[in-house]
Amino acid sequence: MPQVIRKYCHVTHRSATVNGKAFPVAEVDGEGKFLTALYRSLKIDYPKFFKMDSLSKLGFLASELILRDEEPRFAPREDVAILCFNRSASLATDALYQVTIRRGDGCYPSPSLFVYTLPNIVTGEIAIRNKFFGETSFYVCKEWDVQQALRMAGQILCDGRTRAVLAAWVECFEEACEAFMMLVDTENQPGIPPEEIAFSTSKKTTWKN
Amino acid sequence: MEELILQLKQEIIRVLNLEDVTPAGIADSAPLFGEGLGLDSIDALELIVLMEKRYGIKLKDPAQGREIFTSIRVMAEYIHANRTK
Repeated sequence: MPQVIRKYCHVTHRSATVNGKAFPVAEVDGEGKFLTALYRSLKIDYPKFFKMDSLSKLGFLASELILRDEEPRFAPREDVAILCFNRSASLATDALYQVTIRRGDGCYPSPSLFVYTLPNIVTGEIAIRNKFFGETSFYVCKEWDVQQALRMAGQILCDGRTRAVLAAWVECFEEACEAFMMLVDTENQPGIPPEEIAFSTSKKTTWKN
Repeated sequence: MEELILQLKQEIIRVLNLEDVTPAGIADSAPLFGEGLGLDSIDALELIVLMEKRYGIKLKDPAQGREIFTSIRVMAEYIHANRTK
């Protein structure tokens, strides 16, 4: 059976949607605070969120939007894989970390920034939160290609173990920050046709943070 | 000492991004790790950096940190006795 999109969501600096419908977010307390407002609106109690870098926050919140109605939540699962893509890897956090190294008043490399100087940390954050023990992977590429993501998800779904894949574009660098995530499986036919989803990375999302 | 304890709580909240925690919400003698604030190993490294950067104290032995970071009060007492800035 072919892999299909069961659910998808999109998070930017000012909006969050699930299957194309806006997710209501409580009042945003200042510029650049949308992700925190979204976190509060999701009524999550996960203090580690505030320690994450922006890339992980984006991926984490997208996964929460997708998985919040899934049952059972937080039961250990080996049959869910995470497949992420973006353009700039962890460059935004790499730059912040570099500042802590070359600061004029002494060299104090930040351990909490250092741990986010790899883009695939976002897949780990999602896996830890949800107790997913399946395959995780992160690819750096120029643009999001939904057909390519579906093909790769399909290959993972052929491994005899995986039953669902969280496939996502999670990008955060300078003013371009957004996450698009979809839940892919083979069991919910016919699924959502990819051509019905209006998401492209060719138009840059601006974000003054 | 009470002033240093308050300052230390504020520093820890800022450095460790403890978003929903206030100085009043941290008991002076509550454990920092495990229970209490529930800090992790990366937080411990940030506390070591904080000690050096803010108070000029270099911790060379990681085991030393385990004793010093028992609670805010223990940490403040150590800082009071060893600070160089």
